[in-house]
This record gives sequence, structure tokens and C-alpha cells, in this order.
Amino acid sequence: MEKESIFLVVKDAIADVLPDVDTEAVSIEQNLKSLGANSIDRTEIVMSSMEKLGIKLPLVSFGGVENIEDMVDVMVDAYR
Amino acid sequence: MDVQVYRVPMQRLIQGNGMIKESGHGVAIVGMGIVCSIGDNVFEFKESLKKGVSGITRLADRKGPKLSVDIGAEIKEFSFLDRLYRYSDLPETLLQKARHCAQRSPFSIQTSVLSALEAWQDSGMFARENDPERLGVIVAGESTTQNYRYGLHAGFETDPEYLSPRYALQFLDTHQVGVLSEILTIKGEGFVVGGASASGNVGIIKAVQLIQAGIVDTCLVTGVVADLSPIELQGFVNVGAMARGNEFQTPDQTSRPFDDQHTGFVFGQASACVILQSCDVATERKATVRSTILGAAMNLDAVSTTAPSASGEARAMSEALRRGGVCASDVDYLNAHGSSSPLGDATEVEAIKQVFGDHVSKLRVNSTKGLTGHCLYSAGVVELIASVLQMEGEFIHPNKNLENPIDHKLRFSGATTSEKVRIAFAMSNSFGFGGINSSIVFQNTC
Repeated sequence: MEKESIFLVVKDAIADVLPDVDTEAVSIEQNLKSLGANSIDRTEIVMSSMEKLGIKLPLVSFGGVENIEDMVDVMVDAYR
Repeated sequence: MDVQVYRVPMQRLIQGNGMIKESGHGVAIVGMGIVCSIGDNVFEFKESLKKGVSGITRLADRKGPKLSVDIGAEIKEFSFLDRLYRYSDLPETLLQKARHCAQRSPFSIQTSVLSALEAWQDSGMFARENDPERLGVIVAGESTTQNYRYGLHAGFETDPEYLSPRYALQFLDTHQVGVLSEILTIKGEGFVVGGASASGNVGIIKAVQLIQAGIVDTCLVTGVVADLSPIELQGFVNVGAMARGNEFQTPDQTSRPFDDQHTGFVFGQASACVILQSCDVATERKATVRSTILGAAMNLDAVSTTAPSASGEARAMSEALRRGGVCASDVDYLNAHGSSSPLGDATEVEAIKQVFGDHVSKLRVNSTKGLTGHCLYSAGVVELIASVLQMEGEFIHPNKNLENPIDHKLRFSGATTSEKVRIAFAMSNSFGFGGINSSIVFQNTC
């Protein structure tokens, strides 16, 4: 799956977890914290995205993630 | 360092005519909120009580196997967001916090938040600067996440990795404490109490004690909705406590406290909240005091079974009266536990006679469970609110389905219509499995 498609899946998960965020305006360079996500919100966005994509990765795989793009890249690798 | 000395509760003295001579240890009820099968708020609940409306219907379709019971008084057509913005007196920031904390939470959390917001609005506490460390919160109810957990089970069996990280917080009953304290900025004591069907009363009793001991000035008590999973529903049938729903022509005939055709309790859902406050603080801030709790007591029968005990129940009622400094003969109204259980109802009648003697010919008695079903954990809070509303409105709601009373000495309210009655002193009982007896005595302060 293309990086762009996975980003759309992540944006869907963001919309579920953070209903006040306008996901149309979210760019891939932003980080989840700046959107108002606390640590549980962030974990839930990761888990929910993985569930939508049907991939299973240990959470430590996302340890070095700085922004949404890094997170999407981890999922792109796993999806391949 | 300055040491603040809080006022020690004083022993109340009673005159022969029932007038209170010494006040000072009563605890004021300054806010009430409810979401239940017969009302989305306190006003609707009061109207339903007056009219004798029953919330008992066939249960909504549920996942899982066919059960031996198919009736209950459920909260229907529930939408958290639709209801959240009805509390328009509350500050927008508080409502936003409530939305953020509870929008993705289980039903049992969302209903607690709504009833707490209504009570908070009613209390007027939002309009002043509060010292958060003088506020407490008690969540009454145990095993409150059963249906939430049941709903997750199928997904978990196939993909445990996808379990929401929120689960580790949300399955705990104490999550309710966290959510309510965050929304209302409560930083004094906060905890969960369990007392089976007496949980609501146990919560109220512990709040009264916290306030009387000077530990907090104000305490929010929430009775959590019983969101039973199919397993608990079947369990209550199998133990012989719950009516199945096939005994009568229509579901609303099944909950019939103190009627000789009673067959067991009917499952009811309600989240109910009261805000209790020391009388000194309530007076100082010129709060509207809806009623004053004078005495509250609980005890155990030292049994681990479902069996009720008339002597234990009588002890709880007598002790609540003693602590409140109220004579049995001064009580005008009793909101009975009256769950529609054949053994439970008969036992309570015996206990009432032990405590009130000849006064039973004057004491007005009804059971709210004929209308709401048995709201289990929240029943004590629901019934305290029902009692206060009857005091304020000078009426006694019908004792629904009471066609042939099991006792002819007690003065039960009629089966169909409300009666106009002035209530000065009232009592509310709650009894739970495991021999837990509780009783609360309160006074009309209108």
C-alpha cells in the first residue's frame, strides 16, 4: 500500500480518537502531541491504524517515531 | 504552621414533638442528577414518579445466547453528546473537559458524567471558587464494567494485540473516580464503595461520614448504572432473585413490590448523583438545600448468602434514627428497599414493624422499584432523589402493581395514583446480598 493511503488510514484513526481535530488540515510532518493527543490517545491511534491495516507490530517498533510521517513509514515497511 | 480545626459533629437532641433542638451535624443535599429509564433528568424523573410511569419493557436486542430473562428498565436511545450540551448553565470549558474525558468511554462512565453534571449544575458549585482539596468524590458500585468487557471478548479471542490501550484504565471501577475528579477538579478524598444492592446508600453514608469528620466540605456521590452483561442477567435468574419476565402479560406488571404475586426483582438502569455538603458551607454560600440527611447507618448480618434478615434490617433503621436524633413516630414516609422479591419484601415488612410498632398505621410506604426496576448499585441514590422529590412536591408516588398487599397493617401507597402527602421526616432503605443492611434518615428543609 502506498504511503499516502496509509496516511489516510492514520487520519481516520486520528478522527476517531480526537474528534475535535480537523483531519483535512493535518499534515504528515505534524506530530500527534501537537494535535492534543496524550500518551494513551497516541497509542490508541497507532493500535487502531494497525487494526485497520491488518498488521501487528510490537509497540517498541514505534519507539523512535518523531512525527506522523515516521509512524506511517514504520507501517509502510510492515505492510510490504 | 496554622492548624485548621473543623467542627466536631454534635449530638442532636430531639423534642417530643419531633422538632430539632440542636442542629449542626446534619449534611445538606445541595445537588441532584439522574439518567434513568423514566427520566433523562431530575425534572422528567419527578413527572414520571407523579404519574406512576414504569420504565420496564422487553430488553433491547443483545449479542449472545438467548437468556432466561427478557425484560428490564433500560436507559433507551442513549447518546452522550446529545445529552451533554443540555447542561447549558455550566462553563463551556467544563463541558469540553467532559467531552474529552468521556466521549470514547463505556456507557457506565458516560451516564455517570451526565448525572454528575446535572447535580453540579443544580448545586451552583460551578459558579464559585472552590478549594479542590475540600471536595470529595465517592463512586458507588462494584463490577461496573462487566458488559463493556463482555462486548470486547469476541474481538479479543481472535486479535488480542488490537485491544485498546484504554482498556487497562477503563475496566477499573476507579476510572470513574479519575474521570469525575478531572472534569470537576476534585482533589480531596475519592474512592469506590461496593455494597451490592446497597452500594448507593453505602456511598451516601460514607460521604456523610467524610463531611461530619471534617475531611471534606462537599462530596459528590455517584451511583453507577448497572450495565449487566448477559452472564450477570442469567446469574441473577439462576440464583432465584430475578423475575424472568414471562410471569405476566406485560413487562410493566412484573415489578410488584409487596404484592402477593411478586416473583423477583426486575433489572433497572440508572445513573444517579447527589452532592452533599456540610450545613455550615451550604449556609455560608446561601445554597438551596433540597433536604438534610440527619442519620445514616449500615451493618452486616455476618452471612455470605442472599438471605435477608429482619433483625439486621431493623438494626440499620433503628441506628439511622438514633444517629439522626429522630423518633420512629416522627417519620412520615419510608422509601422501602422493596425489590419485589417474595422473601425480601416479607422480611422488610417484618423489620419495619419491629422498628415502627403501632406507627406503621401512619407511616406512608412505597417502593420506587415498581417503576424503575431494581437499579442495583445506584438504587440507594435513585431512591434518595425520589424521596426528596416527593418531599418537595408533597406527594407519594404509586406503589405500582400492588393489588393484594402481603401485609394489611402497613400503609402502602395505592397502585395507580399519587397521593398528596406532606413529609417532614423520611427514611430510605437499601439491602444487599452478603447481609448488607443500610438506612438513611432525612428531613424536609423546604
